[in-house]
Amino acid sequence: MSVPTVTPAPVAGPSPEPGSNPTGGAASRALRRALRWLRGPVPVSIVAALLIGAVFMLLAGVNPLEGYVAMLTGSFGTGMGWSSTLQRAIPIVGLGIAIAIAFRAGVLNLGTEGQAVLGSLAGGLVAVYAPGPAPLILLLAIATAIIVGALWGLLAAVLQNALGVPILLSTLLLNYPARYFSSWLIRYRLDEPTSDLIASEQLDPGRQVGMLVGRTSGLADTLRDSFGSTHPITAILTGVNWSLVIVLLLVVGTAFMNRRTKYGFESGLAGQNLEFTRYGGVKPGPLVMRTMAFSGGIAGLIGVLIVIGAPNTRLVEGHIVQTNYAWTALLVTLLALYRPAGVAIAGLFFAAIIVGSEAMGRELGLSPQISAIIQALVIILLAFRVTLPKFRRRAQTGGSREPGDSPPSGPSKQPDETASSAGPAPSETAAQTSEGEAGR
Amino acid sequence: MNILDIFSEDLIASVLRSLIPILLAAIGGMLCERVGIFNIGLEGIILIGAFAGVAASFFTNNWVAGVIVAMLAGMLFSLILGYGSVYRSGDPIVLAVAMNILAIGVTSFLLVAIFNVQGVFKDPGIDGIPTWRIPVLADIPWIGPLFNLTPLGYLALLLVPISWVVLFRMPLGLRLRGVGERPLAAATMGVNPQRYQLWAVLASGALAGLGGAQLALGNVVQFNEGMSAGRGWIAVVAVMLARAHPVGVLLAALLFGFTDAVGFRLQAFGLPQQLTDAMPYVMTLVVLVIVSRRFVKSRQAQVA
Repeated sequence: MSVPTVTPAPVAGPSPEPGSNPTGGAASRALRRALRWLRGPVPVSIVAALLIGAVFMLLAGVNPLEGYVAMLTGSFGTGMGWSSTLQRAIPIVGLGIAIAIAFRAGVLNLGTEGQAVLGSLAGGLVAVYAPGPAPLILLLAIATAIIVGALWGLLAAVLQNALGVPILLSTLLLNYPARYFSSWLIRYRLDEPTSDLIASEQLDPGRQVGMLVGRTSGLADTLRDSFGSTHPITAILTGVNWSLVIVLLLVVGTAFMNRRTKYGFESGLAGQNLEFTRYGGVKPGPLVMRTMAFSGGIAGLIGVLIVIGAPNTRLVEGHIVQTNYAWTALLVTLLALYRPAGVAIAGLFFAAIIVGSEAMGRELGLSPQISAIIQALVIILLAFRVTLPKFRRRAQTGGSREPGDSPPSGPSKQPDETASSAGPAPSETAAQTSEGEAGR
Repeated sequence: MNILDIFSEDLIASVLRSLIPILLAAIGGMLCERVGIFNIGLEGIILIGAFAGVAASFFTNNWVAGVIVAMLAGMLFSLILGYGSVYRSGDPIVLAVAMNILAIGVTSFLLVAIFNVQGVFKDPGIDGIPTWRIPVLADIPWIGPLFNLTPLGYLALLLVPISWVVLFRMPLGLRLRGVGERPLAAATMGVNPQRYQLWAVLASGALAGLGGAQLALGNVVQFNEGMSAGRGWIAVVAVMLARAHPVGVLLAALLFGFTDAVGFRLQAFGLPQQLTDAMPYVMTLVVLVIVSRRFVKSRQAQVA
């Protein structure tokens, strides 16, 4: 701590920190903060994961540089790529928010998949088959999906509160009946034979969540004329549906809820220290119920948005399960440490990796599963530094974020050994000492 | 066909087939639970074991090599959880969730990279694990199938009493349990908790890897993408149901194997596959509900 300008705070996320240097300008402070964040666990884990990903590409006989160029062009290089990435980010961020709400309250909801599947099934049934005026049916479908998703989530909450079945296990097990039931219903009861897919009838176009700008509308023509038909702006506005706005509202709403509402305060507290929350007069049972209802409801909403969001028009067997949205969303949530804005950024990042990997796979004859490898590695490398607040038994000086700014692995990412040695947060030392004590 | 025909001698054989991979993984999970590390990465380790076993057996045309490589691969893979949670104070749940996804990614990626196929890899060059039929005993009605298993099958069944003896009648078991229940007290007695925890996780990796080998080289002789298909999760639930007791783990795994086998047979009576596939999970949940009441509070404080 010989350098006076170094802020002695744990450096982890892009969260603002109090600058301890009164003489430095705001710009240089921001720059320093950005630099320090770049040295932090998140970017370091990402770079290291990409490096290990490169090793896998080498194993497959592909030049990693070529691979990553293909990945980048696939996800952000073209207008098509932009719209696919955003379209893919919608369910990932949405389910990520659902998971983040639960995990933040210390409720380990691993069942967003089942909640989304049943929500999409119920909402999709309403959207495809219910008679009535289109806008009303659309709203009704969304409401149904939210309610069904919330009920499936509540079931796990009731099982924990009344019978003591851990939510982690019940939500996990409840995924399977949801998955198989939906698959059975679509295959044996709804399947419409004229389509190649195992899927229900098409829904009425008016009941669809349309693209931001309809492809046939005048505005779309104007966009094409002024930007060109493959320009990112045109591609995004005509290739991404309104679910994007719904999910953005969800992100903002959740951030607001976490910071400004009684529920947000209580759930955040419960995630950190349930005992303390109980002393504070909050009953954990109802809190778990509310959390699971929120989480499941959002999952259900996202599920139905996948089914009725353009360009999709049918209930397709295994649509939500096979794409593995729920697990990707879980990784995103862990990367973002349950913060809504972080979930949005990390979700976009992971969606880009997925879309880019698919492009790379097509181009270079690789399995698109390289995206799963990179994503999982980011989390593993990060976890070598991170502990969930809920499970941490040790000193909690670092708040809910991981302490320290030294990289977990990979020597190449230590830009300045001496500078970082001046910076290690006191919390890291504290955590290590107490860890050492506990281990002895 | 009479519905009672389901309960034939064949049923016992197929119960054993579904039981053994889960039992191997669950015994591994039990060891982790005993040293205080919640291992939900079994699903991924099984998958890695299955892939490594098939690959090694394919290249060497030798099932023993396949089994050994599967075990080593499982251990190596479990090092992520072991090293991360024991020495980097990473969260076991976070690590294990990522491991499960990493396993799907790595196996599917290598399937294309090495064998140039997608989905299923099947080849006559893959040497399956033979069944060792014990003469005379295997002919006894009803319990005969118990003596017509693969070597891994016998190992799994024997591990139940062995792990009981080790855990409850040997100093090693006392230390393992001590590390999980009172790490500080164990440390005072000169036991290094971290080393025990690491080795327990590695052992679970080896066992789950063997479970994968049994799945891909014993039950069938091929590798399917995602072929662990929830078995690792069932093993996790089995450990919790049994409160990490060997006999309980056997019973819980048996329950799953039984439901799985009966469900499969019910398909012959016109029940759609989707509904019978869901049965083991629903049954496990039901039993979990019935049993939970007893061990609620302590577990809840730790896990949920």
